[in-house]
Amino acid sequence: MFADRRYDYLDRFRFTVAYLSTPIYWVADIPTRVSLWIDDVFVSQRDLIEENAQLRQELLFAQRELQLLAGLASENSRLRDLQAASQTVQGRAVTAEIINVSNDPGARRVLINRGAHNGVFEGQAVLDAHGLMGQVVEVLPFTSWVLLITDSRHGTPVQVNRNGERAIARGSRSDVAGLELEFVPDTADIVVGDLLVSSGLGQRFPKDYPVAEVTSVVHDPGQAFAVIRARPLAQMDRTRHVMLVIPDDEVISSVPVPDDFLGAGPGELPVTEEVSEPTVSTNSGNDIEAERDTVPDDNALLVRDADEQETDMPTAGQQSADTEAAVTDSVNTEGTETAVESAEADETVMPEEDGPGPGEDLP
Amino acid sequence: MTPRANGIWVIILSFLVAYLLEIVPFPEWAMHYRPAWVAMVLIYWVMAIPYRVGIATAWFAGAFLDILEGSLLGMNALTFALLAYITLSLHQRLRMFSALQQSGMILALVGLSMMLSYWIKIGLEESSEGSLLFLLGALSSAFIWPWLFVMLRHLRRGFDVH
Repeated sequence: MFADRRYDYLDRFRFTVAYLSTPIYWVADIPTRVSLWIDDVFVSQRDLIEENAQLRQELLFAQRELQLLAGLASENSRLRDLQAASQTVQGRAVTAEIINVSNDPGARRVLINRGAHNGVFEGQAVLDAHGLMGQVVEVLPFTSWVLLITDSRHGTPVQVNRNGERAIARGSRSDVAGLELEFVPDTADIVVGDLLVSSGLGQRFPKDYPVAEVTSVVHDPGQAFAVIRARPLAQMDRTRHVMLVIPDDEVISSVPVPDDFLGAGPGELPVTEEVSEPTVSTNSGNDIEAERDTVPDDNALLVRDADEQETDMPTAGQQSADTEAAVTDSVNTEGTETAVESAEADETVMPEEDGPGPGEDLP
Repeated sequence: MTPRANGIWVIILSFLVAYLLEIVPFPEWAMHYRPAWVAMVLIYWVMAIPYRVGIATAWFAGAFLDILEGSLLGMNALTFALLAYITLSLHQRLRMFSALQQSGMILALVGLSMMLSYWIKIGLEESSEGSLLFLLGALSSAFIWPWLFVMLRHLRRGFDVH
């Protein structure tokens, strides 16, 4: 058990034995498939005509929005060119089906019918027709486990669609599936009904996909942060068809903006998952410091993963930063000043960025 | 000393069916009532033919369940081995029990194994602390046990498994 948790070599064993377990899942899925098949076969013509009409109408609406979108996309790319900002992660998608649900009440995981043989990889984002659903955590030969965003161990970097306010949406710890926004100050402009979209800061999930809708905002004077709950838009327990996002390689390599992190000093990795928390600094009081210490522990799993994934790119950025620092070694203070200036210049991209996030507390 | 093995495939088949039942999707509200099929089948075989099915079998049965469920490798293996050990030491008494008494024992054993895996999961932060509603699974296991017992005994005698 401990070996499985600490080391990777058992994964290979798991992977091999999973060849044996796949048929069992296949058989267990038969009743569902039979009922779906029956639904497909025994359907009246009238129902089909109705459905057809409805689908046509939806298509019409979708096409109209698509036309608008084309205009917006070109405008957006022009604006981005002006800012010389990096492109967002969009990527293509392949479909998959959910064939099983974890029977552990404490965890929210589902099994999909795509695995290593279909090119699924760990950390791949999973969507359904309505929003972000989760990410792949374990890849088996023909199946893979997906951790849903409503799992209490999962944190999703999100931002409010209306004003770009950033936060981390964490799966709720209660029995009811939902999301909680963590460490959002009382002053944050988030109201009921706000749409939360993925901010793409974790570099796991594609940017701007709808994640959840805020259902309740409670300002408790006794607590340092607002209690904000949200309902995920993806139909976690009803949908069967999901999409796996295949990110475009060249796009990903251009995502990190190391200039921002020059101010953070060398030897520190930019912890993008935690970026939303500079709001902590706007809040006063020492008790918040204590809160801060507990943060990384909770999110350690995901943050660690993100770090591992990102080590290549940011270190490259840091190296360049280091060489720069070496060149301007004699005027060290000036160097940091320019770094701060560049960070200020990029303020339009990341308005609330303050250098060293709570990432330094990471275990 | 021990007689020649016969009808091993019946044991394997019963385990396979148990695995199937273990992962068949349940509706949300019935989630907590899922009986511990594999554990029950294991207890039966350990009780009926302890010289054939023992702690080693229990370990591998548990490890396979771990892979099937995607849980931590070795968690179910450990709890099943413990179950097999307790059953081994009690099997002669268990055989004498009435159906009701056996159900009570199943309640205790399955409850213990569920509690143990819950503790492991909490201790290793694999899962968050939640309600203890999952123990309802032990209750439904105890409820199903008499029928399962009769069925498996029928199988064992019919195919002369030993």
